[in-house]
Amino acid sequence: MNTQSLKFRLIGWYACLLLGCFMLLGAATYVALRTSLVSSLKENQLRRARQVAQLLREEIASHSENRVGSEVEARYAPDVNDRFVRISQRDGVLLYISPPPKSQTFDPTTLPPPKWPQSTEGAREVPLLGGRAVLVTSHVLQLPGGVAYLVETGAPMDEVRTELRKWFIFLGAMLPLVGVIALGGGYVLVKRALAPVDQIASSAERISSQNLGGRLPVARTGDELERLSIALNHMIERLDAAFQYSRRFVADASHELRTPLTVLKGELEDFVHKGPQSPDWRDRLGSALEEVDRLTNIVEGLFAISRLDAGEAAAEWVKFDLAQLVSATADQMSLLAEDKKIKLTCQGNVGVWVEGDRARLKQVVVNLLDNAIKYTPEGGSVALTVFAQNGKAVLEVVDNGIGIPTQVLPKVFERFFRVDTARSREQGGAGLGLSIVKSICTAHHGKVEASSTLGQGSRFRVELPRVPATAPQLGTK
Amino acid sequence: MRLLLVEDEKKVADFVARGLRAERFAVDLAYDGVSGWDLASTVDYDLVILDLMLPGLAGTELLRRLRQKGKTAAVLVLTARDGTAEKVANFEAGADDYLTKPFAFAELLVRVKALLRRPPAGRAPVVRVADLEIDRLTQQVRRGGKRIELTAKEYGLLEYLAANAGRVLSRTMIVEHVWDESFEGLTNIVDVYVRHLRSKVDDPFSTQLIHTVRGVGYSLGEEQDS
Repeated sequence: MNTQSLKFRLIGWYACLLLGCFMLLGAATYVALRTSLVSSLKENQLRRARQVAQLLREEIASHSENRVGSEVEARYAPDVNDRFVRISQRDGVLLYISPPPKSQTFDPTTLPPPKWPQSTEGAREVPLLGGRAVLVTSHVLQLPGGVAYLVETGAPMDEVRTELRKWFIFLGAMLPLVGVIALGGGYVLVKRALAPVDQIASSAERISSQNLGGRLPVARTGDELERLSIALNHMIERLDAAFQYSRRFVADASHELRTPLTVLKGELEDFVHKGPQSPDWRDRLGSALEEVDRLTNIVEGLFAISRLDAGEAAAEWVKFDLAQLVSATADQMSLLAEDKKIKLTCQGNVGVWVEGDRARLKQVVVNLLDNAIKYTPEGGSVALTVFAQNGKAVLEVVDNGIGIPTQVLPKVFERFFRVDTARSREQGGAGLGLSIVKSICTAHHGKVEASSTLGQGSRFRVELPRVPATAPQLGTK
Repeated sequence: MRLLLVEDEKKVADFVARGLRAERFAVDLAYDGVSGWDLASTVDYDLVILDLMLPGLAGTELLRRLRQKGKTAAVLVLTARDGTAEKVANFEAGADDYLTKPFAFAELLVRVKALLRRPPAGRAPVVRVADLEIDRLTQQVRRGGKRIELTAKEYGLLEYLAANAGRVLSRTMIVEHVWDESFEGLTNIVDVYVRHLRSKVDDPFSTQLIHTVRGVGYSLGEEQDS
């Protein structure tokens, strides 16, 4: 699992939070339980102290206070019940102290001396060895005539300790269970919450890779994810509008340039034919006309790209044999290769059929082949291969020419991109050939890729959807 | 031959009209759709050269009305747009040919003549330019009686030049005629083929027949002096 993922972090937070709450709650109940156990023990002991005080009062009234010890033992049997009773006077004289309990949990004689409380009643915890403690409560019996007795009762706090330990063990046993529930519940919750996000991400990816015309499906759930999809849709819309604007701009600009170019070309040609006939003049006019032609080529190229990108290529779709088209085109261009003593080979399995605008796809072959010949030095070789692969029709144009530096390879399909300005300008290119190739391939639901080793050559690979072969006469022009 | 040119861009209209008049055509000019329609509907023209983007009345609409009225004048459409869909729409409206701006005047002239059924050099089986002889039936080429072997493309190029002898043909025209529109923008293919053609047709002989007019194109004939 990716530890950076939102899912992982959310589950982690969720589990930690839940465990934290559990432990806090455990600690709070522990404290509450202890307080309640101690206070109930204290209540019991105070009641016992009052009872003993009452007994003492009765015994004094009948002037038999010396018998109070045996009376207490007879009624409450502190040694059997693990209890402690002590009666003392203000001057420290002990009237009675209970014998050591049978359980031997504490020795009453080792307990600290009587401590008179501020008011009539009090309680204190007396620590013993071994971390144990005895809760001692005291009650002051004030008799008329100024005589006062202190009745102390006590009980070991072992019972409280045992109860608390049980509770602690229970909490400890529950902890892993709560942990498992926290992790499992967190996983399920987060997964359910994030599933639409995954869906939105994959739809958005599909839309941006294909065309900006698509929109994300918006689930009317009223939650944040609906807002997210709507916001993303707005963004895609604006992007789409921006792209359309730029396409329209290119189309309009190239359109507006045509008329002035027509006038320039017409007037300059007229001048070449009828103007002063000095070679110098004609040369200058010719140079101007060459530039008009180059401008015209750029305008045509831009216009073609904008139209292809707007999806207007689908005028004349036919099925035809790509291999046949490639070999016919290579044949028409063979002299270009021959002229540079380049060995041009063309291999193709006949019967690799594609569907599309034949003239446009021919332009793909022409542009790629022209490029390969242009950038391969004399004596090199250019190979065209057509084959079928994984339901695709593939055309590869491989040369052993000068190649393209790796860092600019992704840019070769950009408009007006030149690997080396001086080199290609001298060749007269408008810098649009490969952009046109890419636009045509995209318009045909295909793609084009370039790979190259500098100094050893380049490989351009065109992939188009393959269609089943039909009668050959349908495809040939 | 009487021609009507409907074009709102005055400068384009002027050089086209000037060129056509030099070729001894009678040319009427209209600078907007409405006056174009007035002229086209009242005068029987042999050919109407029609720009599509017109003020007043769109070219396509003018064309449709013209055909509805039963006018049979050939119509050559000039346009700054070359979308295939628009092309089809205009052919359906009754256009006979189509020319995209910017064009070379020579190209316009070739199309005008074709529409007026005045083929430049005729369809004669044998074309002669100076001492060059092209037999269209056997596709054999001789110069000064000497047989010249040409490849199919070289023959196509030479035949096209010879059929328009004395006229300068632009690279675009040559590409479209001898190759096809897929090679547009790839004008160096013309230069390479012309060079090869020259090495066979011109180099072994004392006079040059294939001439380069820089920035414009190529022509075939003996009178050129460059």
